[in-house]
Amino acid sequence: MLAARVLERSRADATEAIITSEHRALTRFTHEFIHQNVDIENLSIRVRAIVDGRTGVASTNAADDAGIDAVVQRAMDIAAFAPRPADVPVLAARSDVTAPPAAYVDATANATAEQRATVAAAIFAQAAANDCWCSGYVTTSAGGLTIANSAGANASFDGTESGANVKMTAGDSTGFAERYAPDARVLDGTALGARAAAKARASADPLAVDPGEWTVILEPPAFGELVMFLGSHFSAQSYDEGSSFLSGRLGERVMGTGVTIRDDYAHPLHPDAPFDREGTPKQRLALIENGIARTVVTDSTWARKLDRANTGHGQPAPNAQGPYPLDLVVDPGNASLDELIAGTKRGLLVTRLWYTRIVDQRKTILTGMTRGVRNLRFNQSLVDALETCTFSNDQQRTGGYAYALVTPAVKFNRFTFASTTNY
Amino acid sequence: MRFHKNIGNRAPPPHLPAPGFSSGEPGVGAVPADMDFSARAERALDTALARGAAYADIRFERTRSEHIEVRNGDVADLNDTRSEGYGLRALVDGAWGFAASARFDDAALDAAAARAVAMARAGATASRRRIGTMPVDAYVDRYVTPCERDPATVPLGERIALLLDAERALHSAPTIAVGRAWLDLWRTDKEFYSSIGSRIAQTIYQSGGAISALAVGEGDAQVRMWPGDRGMYFGGGWEVLELAGLRENAARIGEEAHQLLAAPQCPSGTMDVILGGSQVSLQIHESCGHAAELDRIMGWEANFSGTSFLAPAERGNLHYGSPIVTIEIDNTLPRGFATVGYDDEGTKSVRADVIRDGILVGFESSRDTAAQIGSTSTSCVRAESWEHVPMIRMCNLNLLPGNVPFENLFDDVRDGVYLEANRSWSIDDRRLNFQFGTQIGWEIKHGKRGRMLKNPTYGGVTPVFWNSCDAIADAASWFAWGTPNCGKGEPMQTGRTTQAAAPARFRNVAVGVGYGR
Repeated sequence: MLAARVLERSRADATEAIITSEHRALTRFTHEFIHQNVDIENLSIRVRAIVDGRTGVASTNAADDAGIDAVVQRAMDIAAFAPRPADVPVLAARSDVTAPPAAYVDATANATAEQRATVAAAIFAQAAANDCWCSGYVTTSAGGLTIANSAGANASFDGTESGANVKMTAGDSTGFAERYAPDARVLDGTALGARAAAKARASADPLAVDPGEWTVILEPPAFGELVMFLGSHFSAQSYDEGSSFLSGRLGERVMGTGVTIRDDYAHPLHPDAPFDREGTPKQRLALIENGIARTVVTDSTWARKLDRANTGHGQPAPNAQGPYPLDLVVDPGNASLDELIAGTKRGLLVTRLWYTRIVDQRKTILTGMTRGVRNLRFNQSLVDALETCTFSNDQQRTGGYAYALVTPAVKFNRFTFASTTNY
Repeated sequence: MRFHKNIGNRAPPPHLPAPGFSSGEPGVGAVPADMDFSARAERALDTALARGAAYADIRFERTRSEHIEVRNGDVADLNDTRSEGYGLRALVDGAWGFAASARFDDAALDAAAARAVAMARAGATASRRRIGTMPVDAYVDRYVTPCERDPATVPLGERIALLLDAERALHSAPTIAVGRAWLDLWRTDKEFYSSIGSRIAQTIYQSGGAISALAVGEGDAQVRMWPGDRGMYFGGGWEVLELAGLRENAARIGEEAHQLLAAPQCPSGTMDVILGGSQVSLQIHESCGHAAELDRIMGWEANFSGTSFLAPAERGNLHYGSPIVTIEIDNTLPRGFATVGYDDEGTKSVRADVIRDGILVGFESSRDTAAQIGSTSTSCVRAESWEHVPMIRMCNLNLLPGNVPFENLFDDVRDGVYLEANRSWSIDDRRLNFQFGTQIGWEIKHGKRGRMLKNPTYGGVTPVFWNSCDAIADAASWFAWGTPNCGKGEPMQTGRTTQAAAPARFRNVAVGVGYGR
């Protein structure tokens, strides 16, 4: 309805409205007290106006008629000054899309501060029972996304998110546990607290290890942080411009044959909007299939530039970032995590990484730290590591609200640690 | 080549008032006439108190921001964003609640106040400790960032033309696959009201921009940016973009990206390192700025941004760096990207030492955290916008200049490297073990700068590294490097911060880590 009001009030040759609304709450704790407790409601109206082939974009959070008129006028004013691009943008046409099931849960949308505090209190109890101190958060949110344009597109999606994560610290060791789901009723503070505390206890009195090449098993929170850095490599923009490791290599084997990486908005662990930020239906894609580079993701601009199909991975247009896969999924393997551990003669089990950054984009060399007490720094080409790896047979959603992806644990036969922290 | 060396120096440029307009004595002055949120603020605060809050404050903000980016000749992004709303904090039984809304009717104001109080009460019930403290001082004041040329008066065509010209000039070599030029302009009008009588109005102008060239060769890609590694970001208006030298430096930056493709790999080994000013700024940011945030030290960020190797008990004792290293908070710094009159819990901006002559002496703090160590707030509380809860942020945190002319830093380096402009940055969650990479480097042999080097990296442990600092360039090359994208907190907040710095020399550093070492 709000999007329709925007379109009605625009005099541009073509108009697109993106409406996002959000009500999110987050309860954050440390040392068994809640030090931050927030509840935020907001919306955004983003208007793209095309006038004589030129584009202007303006955004506001004022939803009354005056606010809408002002934002439409600003978008048109900007369009009047903007340079005319070589290709006039084409807005998405109307299409039928179906949201994945269970993406919106009323119980999450209606969650209260008391409910979040109850989950936190259960975690506090586990900390006390296990002689640890804990830090983390409990969050619940509900949001809506509508994209409508004067070419007839009109797509809407409502989703909820909830999550809790906790780090338990026990003297000289730490443990971490997390759970994210659309349904807040699955958040079990006792179970999360107990799991994190058990990890902390199992890590007590850590041994110092030497840097060098190790066999490592990365649990989903650790591996997910690395996989996130592959996202930009799957973009048609970085592929074409030469900054992706995939540049010029589609159809080739680029990783071990056990590796399949998808972009799937409908995965049950992370149901997401079935359309992109241009209103184009998302395709569910195998990006890497059995180690072979199959495709990259596109938006309207890059589909046209490269004469490829629009896969529906656009960000709000126009933008400088290019298309992006927001729903990465790594396929599972056959062995359980316990079996991966049992089959490792000498190696390191890593639950979580920290401050991972790109050292060399084209070579996918990443650096970062393990996140415990006796921390190790790694320097490793992720694509090289994925040449010889094995996955566990279960997947987990990880990343919290910073990013969201679905992955199993992974065992890398060779993973390079460059230094330890001696101070 | 250095540029506009005096901008950001401690003495304000003579044509600018310094800094802002502010009386700033507690409880004096009249409520500024244009504080148009006052009636609604009063209603919301009264509601919070009536529902049981011992203290409440409310911050109304109206922001206008513009981001323009030109990419390979096209205006790839041009977004004008406006947002307004309010965030209300309520303190109940030593616990805080925060509610934010963009709806301004009476019912919405009452509901926001009620939500904040309910959250604080729920938090107090579940918590096993209390941390919230009441403020003592109330201020009635106004602050405005000195601004030579309000960006709103600069025609859009002029704003775009600057970027188109600069981006075009980046393509000075055939291997430049991607040229980018961008600018960011912010104006934030905010009003702060507290239940003990603060009435503070502020208008904050912040501006900046940058250029970037990506050269692509056989199996290799190299990037160069200007100025520094993030651009030039100051408190101020359009004059910041005019000072940034985007057009003037674009051709050289493109050529350097091209030359890096054929440059030799930076060697691995232990050697002396001279860091350019922007890289010293990054080093301060990551290894001192975040380490000295008192909320981290107290475990408030333990599960996300991390903790710190620093502790309150080490004040006055810990040899953080060599005796030439002095790092101070200065939230009054002229042109500082984080300079304001008052922080977002109503504390007046101050200067305070963190490292004095190499010794740890203080922290970036809020009222609550400072009270825990028997100290007072260092005015480092910021919220990204009205919808974000105020928290401790690195603001202006500066390494004071030394006494060595930049050129003389090289004099007694027999075998080393000179590194400029960050490309990669990583540090552990206690802020000890770091590894940074830069876009470009040059070898130093017998006091002379030699060949260009690509993929430079270096690493170390924070206090060991800062204790190896034996020379800092003088005030002539001291520059207020601003960073527009400092992340912290959950929900994540983006902070704008300055780490003023001059180039500096460090002895016996591990170089070439990540590439074969």
